[in-house]
Amino acid sequence: MSAETRRILLEAAIILLLGVVLGLSVNYRLVLRTFQDARIPPPWSLSSSTVTARWPAPVDLPAVRQLLKKGAVPIDARRRDLFRRGHLPGARSFPLGQADRWMATFHREFTPATPLVVYCSGGGCPDAFELAARLLKEGYRDVRVFEGGFPAWRDAHLPVAGGAP
Amino acid sequence: MKRGTRFAYHLCRLLLGGVFFYAGVVKVADPAAFARQVGAYRILPVQGAILVAATLPYVEALAGGLLLVNRKVRPAALVAGALTLVFMAVLVSLLLRGLQIDCGCFNALGKAGTGPSLALLRDTGLLLLAIATYRLRGKLT
Repeated sequence: MSAETRRILLEAAIILLLGVVLGLSVNYRLVLRTFQDARIPPPWSLSSSTVTARWPAPVDLPAVRQLLKKGAVPIDARRRDLFRRGHLPGARSFPLGQADRWMATFHREFTPATPLVVYCSGGGCPDAFELAARLLKEGYRDVRVFEGGFPAWRDAHLPVAGGAP
Repeated sequence: MKRGTRFAYHLCRLLLGGVFFYAGVVKVADPAAFARQVGAYRILPVQGAILVAATLPYVEALAGGLLLVNRKVRPAALVAGALTLVFMAVLVSLLLRGLQIDCGCFNALGKAGTGPSLALLRDTGLLLLAIATYRLRGKLT
């Protein structure tokens, strides 16, 4: 490898590094919060004020089970027909597509302090995040997203409500 | 040095730089929206998607900016080309998995939707531009 090629590679790496450092400096709050929420055990012990006001905190299956035991309400962001086929016990159906229509009813039923766990079809499906972000904007303070969603719950052989077992 | 080569070099550099600078700047404003789009690719966990959304637009804008102002052109073209290769690999994985989602390339809100096939075609063009910029810059020195 010539000295010129080495210099170009080094400078390319510096450009990459500078961009990353710049991005992390500007967005450090968002990044820190996300990693802290995933790292600090147990996440359900966090007070509402530490839960992000703008970005819903992601939670994994064990954390979801603990949250539900503590009274958090599972919110199913999938379509109504998928909800009917099977959902987390005690879950409320709140399809993202009908958020505008049902938000007022939702407000009457749940206070802003209600801990909510929003899920959809897992695997990075965006609906749970969309809905959770919307609920945060609507004033709900403790909103988390169950990343694995319904497939992770079902595959762990946990009890499923509605539909065939 | 032929005038034609110089003209081709500046054209490739400005096109590539313009596209990368624009792609970076439009995504800087709302990292959360871009993270959701990265998440929709179903490749990275949420934390990974957020890391990408927090940093990628700045790398794109930086490389694009350097190309536009004609500074550190070969390293910047290398970064742009490498990023384009990664984007292409990701788009191929979308096609293989049959996921028809907006690529999120330029618009974090996904309003101007571009499917994976079209995005792949566009990225092929960008890769060629990056290679051309890199090579033509070498000829100028």
